[in-house]
Amino acid sequence: MSTDYDIVIAGGGPAGSTAAAYLAKAGLSVALFESESFPREHVGESLVPATTRVMTETGVMEKIDRAGFPKKYGAAWTSKETRNIVTNDFSKIAHEFGAAEIQFSERDQPGVTRDFTYHVDRGKFDKILLEHAEELGAKVTQNTRVRNVDFDDPDQVTVTCRNESGEFDVTARMFVDASGRQTMLGRQLRVKVPDPVFDQYAIHSWFEGLDRKAMTSNPEKIDYIYVHFLPINDTWVWQIPITDTITSVGVVTQKHRFVEANTDRDKFFWDFIDTRPELAEQLRKAEQVRPFKVEADYSYAMKQICGDRFVMIGDAARFVDPIFSSGVSVALTSAKFASQDIVAAFEADDFSRAMFSSYEKRLRNGVRNWYEFISVYYRLNVLFTAFVQDPKHRLDVVRLLQGDLYDDEEPEVLRVMRETVQAVENDPTHLWHPYLGSLRAPTAAPAF
Amino acid sequence: MSTDEISAKVTAFIKERFLSGDENKELEDTTPLLEWGVLNSMNTALLLMYLRDELGVVVPPTGIVAENFKDIRSITKMVNDLGSPQRATVAGTE
Repeated sequence: MSTDYDIVIAGGGPAGSTAAAYLAKAGLSVALFESESFPREHVGESLVPATTRVMTETGVMEKIDRAGFPKKYGAAWTSKETRNIVTNDFSKIAHEFGAAEIQFSERDQPGVTRDFTYHVDRGKFDKILLEHAEELGAKVTQNTRVRNVDFDDPDQVTVTCRNESGEFDVTARMFVDASGRQTMLGRQLRVKVPDPVFDQYAIHSWFEGLDRKAMTSNPEKIDYIYVHFLPINDTWVWQIPITDTITSVGVVTQKHRFVEANTDRDKFFWDFIDTRPELAEQLRKAEQVRPFKVEADYSYAMKQICGDRFVMIGDAARFVDPIFSSGVSVALTSAKFASQDIVAAFEADDFSRAMFSSYEKRLRNGVRNWYEFISVYYRLNVLFTAFVQDPKHRLDVVRLLQGDLYDDEEPEVLRVMRETVQAVENDPTHLWHPYLGSLRAPTAAPAF
Repeated sequence: MSTDEISAKVTAFIKERFLSGDENKELEDTTPLLEWGVLNSMNTALLLMYLRDELGVVVPPTGIVAENFKDIRSITKMVNDLGSPQRATVAGTE
């Protein structure tokens, strides 16, 4: 039976365009439909170094290198108490107060020949990736939304799309959902499950002229990503350089706090920022250059991320809290793993669910590791910073922060962290017991 | 290092750093450091750092429990156990 294309992909973000690149390179015919017109704004502006491998494989790395994005050499965490510590011992005891710093160069990453990654304007970044996929032969159509996928015919999928001139159908042998947090297929198939623990909420914007030197005690590290903890449980602020003068700033908190505050976005943002007066002072001197944008409907998983003739990748498959800049990494890595299975499915001319089980296993494993890392972090912040400080564990933590956590079943350092959290939870006399946060992941991790 | 030496070092550190020298000589090896607030969170961090850097003893995260830090005697025992080649079990560790 002949179909219009081998593969139809819904969504042209990093997951969709990376899958399109891999599949087009493999000689398959790919049609990608993107509902918006690029460039468009998108949250998730900081990368981890593991993305370098994927972008090198698809060949887009050189184009990203030429785009002039700020280089990201490391990450830093600050807390309200940090500034009050005036002792010389600061760097050594900082972890007790939620402060930490890491540099990617501390650990060599197999297959990654550089010690930095990028902070990106996602409008530009996503456009470069999408155009690269197009150059490799994928047929890209923007301003066109995938509405529905019909799986009734066992030999093909029929994808219904809509653009300004109306609805039309396209047939393919395989469908890839990369529709992002719209989770097009997850909603159609009713397999989306909201995260029981992380009901987070983000409010963010871009600021022109923020003095990044004034935001750190270490002026050499102004181009790191900064995570500033607010003295409110489970609440933090991201600070991501976008250009020399523009900085992305966002507050992440629990959704119920916004509901309870019962106020507008502007006031909510500034009320929260004001809990760190030294941050607020600098941020008020800068000029807000975009309206505040909100990301709600946060973490979720899917009961199923593949099936006969389909896979879901990137945010369409799973979204976890963004504290460790994992989003684009999950997008690119899932696109890579899925593409490998899809190419094998075409070789075998078999598109049954079992053909994608390797993808499913690897992605679920990697995301479970991200999730566990995030859970430990929120549950016992002091543990994360203590491990960063501990020479025995530091490089293993750096490895997680580099994004190298898809291959191991459970990295050793995560197991030790998880067991330590349990020990602290179970022992009220543990000196860290009072620091336990309120977000508590279920001991039995969700089976998805 | 003998237990007496460990005890003397820990006592001296706590006196000097947290008790302004303890001129009234109130600090004993059974003084309840946690109850009296001598070891608050920052001081505990400083002490852990001192144990690591000066005595070469890394207290595992699971060992940071009241039983090991309640007084100088307990701290000394913990350091001694952690520092000995057999790595005798310390309360709270595996």
